[in-house]
Amino acid sequence: MSVKIEDQLKEKILNVAKKNPKGISHKDITAAIPEVSSAELVPVINELLQQEYFDLFNQNGVLVYKLKAQTSKQAVKGADNEEKVVYNLIEEAGNKGIWIRDIRVRSNLANTQLTKVLKNLESKKVIKAVKCVNASKKKVYMLYNLEPDRSISGGAWYQDQDFESEFVDILNVQCHRFLSQRADKIKNNPRGPIVGRTQSYATANEVQKYITDLGISKVELDVEDVITILNTLVYDGKAESSVYPDGSKVYRAIDPLIPAPGLVQVPCGVCPLIHSCDSTGLVTPQTCVYMKEWLE
Amino acid sequence: MSHQMGRVVSAILERHFGEIVQKVGDDLFSYGSRPISMIVRNTGLPRNQVIDSLRTLLKFDLATFEPYNDVIVDYKLLPDNVLLLIRYPRYLLQMKSKYGSEAELLVEELLQQATCTATTLLFNIATKFKDDKEKSITILGLKDMFISLVTAGYIQQAPVAELKEGSEIPTLVPVATIVPDLDSRALVQAMNNGHINDIKDNIYWRVNYDRFHLDFRDEIMIKAITRRIDENAGELMRFLLEKMYLTSAPWAPESSPLCAVELRERCRSAATDKPLLHQFVDQYLKVLEENGGGFVRRVGDAGSGQFTVRSRHAALQLVLCALEHCVTERLGSKAARIFRLIYTKKYIEEDDIQKNAMLVNKECKQLTYKLMEEHFISVQPMRKPASAGGMAKAIYLYHVKLHSVAYTGLEMCYRSLHNVLRRAAHERSAHARLVDKQRRVRTIVHGMRLRGETQRNIDDVEETLTPPELAVLQGVEKRLKQLSTAELELDRNLFIFKWYFMYPYVE
Repeated sequence: MSVKIEDQLKEKILNVAKKNPKGISHKDITAAIPEVSSAELVPVINELLQQEYFDLFNQNGVLVYKLKAQTSKQAVKGADNEEKVVYNLIEEAGNKGIWIRDIRVRSNLANTQLTKVLKNLESKKVIKAVKCVNASKKKVYMLYNLEPDRSISGGAWYQDQDFESEFVDILNVQCHRFLSQRADKIKNNPRGPIVGRTQSYATANEVQKYITDLGISKVELDVEDVITILNTLVYDGKAESSVYPDGSKVYRAIDPLIPAPGLVQVPCGVCPLIHSCDSTGLVTPQTCVYMKEWLE
Repeated sequence: MSHQMGRVVSAILERHFGEIVQKVGDDLFSYGSRPISMIVRNTGLPRNQVIDSLRTLLKFDLATFEPYNDVIVDYKLLPDNVLLLIRYPRYLLQMKSKYGSEAELLVEELLQQATCTATTLLFNIATKFKDDKEKSITILGLKDMFISLVTAGYIQQAPVAELKEGSEIPTLVPVATIVPDLDSRALVQAMNNGHINDIKDNIYWRVNYDRFHLDFRDEIMIKAITRRIDENAGELMRFLLEKMYLTSAPWAPESSPLCAVELRERCRSAATDKPLLHQFVDQYLKVLEENGGGFVRRVGDAGSGQFTVRSRHAALQLVLCALEHCVTERLGSKAARIFRLIYTKKYIEEDDIQKNAMLVNKECKQLTYKLMEEHFISVQPMRKPASAGGMAKAIYLYHVKLHSVAYTGLEMCYRSLHNVLRRAAHERSAHARLVDKQRRVRTIVHGMRLRGETQRNIDDVEETLTPPELAVLQGVEKRLKQLSTAELELDRNLFIFKWYFMYPYVE
């Protein structure tokens, strides 16, 4: 058997395997390539297995060949066993990433060796290290081409693992502006308060469209992101949320129930020293500087 | 009954009744109830001064007494009533805006007298304004106003002292108020004679604070609804409250169900003023129920919908709102966001706070701890049983104990109020000499004007107050005005807290 025929056969088997991502059994191969005898097939499959094109599974007593992901094949090319093990662990973790300690425990490699392996893989641009947003010291590894999960990267609100509070603040203000524009519709609406209320409500989709049209955001914000921002408005007490019958959330700008109460109108209500203030001593109402400024 | 409350009460007593009463009041406040001899020993005041003070306190309903045994009586201060002393201007304003200046005069006189017979009250006011042609106040007009105030419940009969057999100590028995039948002819005759010796009147009256407080409460609720929805909804809230008074106890946490049909009737009669409300009553009811902060709740469908007014819930919402304002002003709007977040989520972990509040991790933690430090939020540790891995980490759940936070707010109110009162007293005493001088100059000038002396002489006297002195006086006046406004505002705030604490705490 010449090498050329073997290569053709290889190609054919791979094609069959590509069509069936769930894996192919020996029967599938013979059905797809009936002109080849099983005796000829065996060495070819063996070679493919050796070259790690396939993973071998035992499914209900039948051997199933499953095509490995192309990248993984390339990545481990020319790698030693340790690298392969580590690589597989990292691959398994997906876009959630895996912590170095977990790799060490599961791969049974010594610390120094593991660092070396990881460095190696990193320099080949096979994997990358991503800083976790909720634990700044914690680094997780994942495959180079993967987009980190939200729980790791924090989604649209993070730039290089730093929370962009200004961005959030601006969006918060803009959302509030959008809601306030229609908030007054409920007041004395000639078509009745329910119509008025509906007019004063804004769905998250509308807000998202408004924000996108404003063009203040460089990153694409989806509706979920906008809902997060709108929820901060609810927690700010500037909006209330409700649910439409179809399940979509709607928001409406509101005022607090009462205007600023007396307590915060006097300096004592905001005074940082209120708890050390007394009739005698260093801090007294008679000599209070804040009080003096306020009365000027 | 806290230390801060004691300080406020003491300051108020000093302002209104002077140092001696203040001393007695302090003593009563710190020891609860005690007999005269103990007060004398503790304060070091002469016995007759103590007795006089107690008499004053008892007269204005700022203290009460109960027999310890047959001979000795224990006296007790009523600090909540003392706090009402700073609310007097509000009562008067309420009267003036609702019933006009005659009612204001009546209530003012009655507040000053504490308790008084109707005849004396009317006679005194009428005599005072006999020569005032502008106001044209007649004793008959006053009488009618008095009767309508009694009917509306702003004035009630004072409790009557009764002596039990075998005891020398009277007990005060509250009596049901009966609208009096005052003899107009006798009153006019008394005015002409200039004395009231001929009229026999032994029913004493006093101001019913509670009635005023109900008005204040209604006003707060209506205003809140107006802010949240619109004037029509506010008006609907007013109608609901009106209906509520007919069927439930006025301070009931939740009123008994009110029928929508009756409300519709009521709205029809107000159709000319509020055409929209009349047109969309049902819609307004729905919006009020769903967006009105939970003040009103639908309880049934009988009679095309039944609604209850939830006074307790309203108080809770308003206290929460006041506290949120307080957090915003003290620690910033970000902290208020965290406070509200924790309140809405009931129990929440630190990580989740950061995620939901959308704040930088560090800032978020800082604010959370600051809120803890100022007692706005509390923490509940949840310890897991020690697991095999030795990773027995505790979870810390943050939450808002509204009841205790409200106490924090109340204490702060007391503190601020005390400080404002102290400061005002300080301002007064610091410039006492100047204020005194100004008053003297004014009296002299007034006398000179009456005698018809020349303008030059008057100017001479007026110039004894130098321009710098006048400037100082103006400053003092401005400051005192600002302080008394602050006092009233703080009192409004206190009112909300007191309203909330009126209902017993439920977990």
